[in-house]
Amino acid sequence: MGYGDLWEATHVELLAACWATLQLAFGALVIGLIVGLLVALARLSKSRPMRRAALIYIEVFRGTPALVQLFIVYFSLTEIGIQFSSFQAAMIGLGLNAAAYLSEIYRSGLEAVPKGQVEAAKAIGMARHNVLRWVVLPQAIRIVLAPIGSVAISLLKDTSVASLIAAPDLMLRAQDLSSVYFMPLEIYILVGVIYFVLCYPLSLGVRLLERKTRH
Amino acid sequence: MFDSTALHKTIEMLPYFLNVLGIGALTTVGLTAAAFVVAALLGFCLALMRLSRSRVLSLIASLYLEVFRNVPILTQLFILYFGLTYIGITLPAIGAAIIGFGLNGAAILSEVFRSSIRTIDRGQSEAAYSIGMTRAVAMRIIVLPQAFKVAIPGMANFAIGLLKDTSLASAAAVPELTFKARMLVSETYQTNLIYFLLAIIYLVLSLVLSHWAARTERRLKVVKEN
Repeated sequence: MGYGDLWEATHVELLAACWATLQLAFGALVIGLIVGLLVALARLSKSRPMRRAALIYIEVFRGTPALVQLFIVYFSLTEIGIQFSSFQAAMIGLGLNAAAYLSEIYRSGLEAVPKGQVEAAKAIGMARHNVLRWVVLPQAIRIVLAPIGSVAISLLKDTSVASLIAAPDLMLRAQDLSSVYFMPLEIYILVGVIYFVLCYPLSLGVRLLERKTRH
Repeated sequence: MFDSTALHKTIEMLPYFLNVLGIGALTTVGLTAAAFVVAALLGFCLALMRLSRSRVLSLIASLYLEVFRNVPILTQLFILYFGLTYIGITLPAIGAAIIGFGLNGAAILSEVFRSSIRTIDRGQSEAAYSIGMTRAVAMRIIVLPQAFKVAIPGMANFAIGLLKDTSLASAAAVPELTFKARMLVSETYQTNLIYFLLAIIYLVLSLVLSHWAARTERRLKVVKEN
């Protein structure tokens, strides 16, 4: 059986699993963007306990493997009575993980806008929310766009980890299929190509954004 | 779950857990260190290839980078694992993992090295050439020692990422930290405690690594100022 025949036999299932992987990555990205914003605001707040809590969140989620975080969300929370499906657990776990990285990106974006601009805007009588809306955010968004894209790519690749808690993604489907067809090498290469096709355009996009923001 | 005999039993088992996880942690550290060495050597070659004047070499290196950076490491590990078997090489799981993480890490580290080499002012290389140094000598004694200092934070970030990624080797039955924890869970059903300990151990390891890197960076800066 060559790659053509194998693709013919498996493509329906692989593409369905591919769709699940995309949903997982997108859901986790949304969770990460929202939680990450909250963590970034906490990190920049005037309250010391809030700043401390945000810092601990970031250290813990960046200092432990995503796989371990998925185990804890999926298996440990089940034990204390909070039950998720493996797919939900993966989405939440990967989202909370991404939030730690995204919060640092938000923070660097907000801090990259020179203080003098904020002071100047205030000096000509702009209100605080207007300063944020018209001066800080438009510049900050341009700065954070490329790094957020990088996180999205990592997230898309990291969804493969979800297969280890049996979430029905592309990698898990690959495992099933390789035991059906007894062609593990060919199946995994096929799946590798699919991941590449998904990630490579995103990588090119991020690089384009990086070049744009630098000039 | 909260009656005292169960709690007592749990506390009695704690030394056993820590013992097993400690051995797993040593394997994790060894796997990380070995893969780091492979990644650094190969990554350095890739960085030089990308910076070289030969278009072919530079193209090969770029191709390598794109492939390894746009496919999940877990998929790469599986391809390598089954690929090696396919061509008749049977390595112990940990050997395959070292190669897999090394090959993947080389793509990341080569970018760290390349951008660090780029930060060194061209004027320095030009000055070196003008006093008669060859490209290779100028690279070795002028550019690389300085670029190395610039590369330390990137290398440290990579090492921490690698340490965490080695947890994926548990899927290929490498007896590292996460694998041991999963064994303990299926043996004793103490899910919460074991995964909590697991997270703490990883956290401690990566904090130690990042502090060590920060100290090394500081020390090298002091030397520079003298």
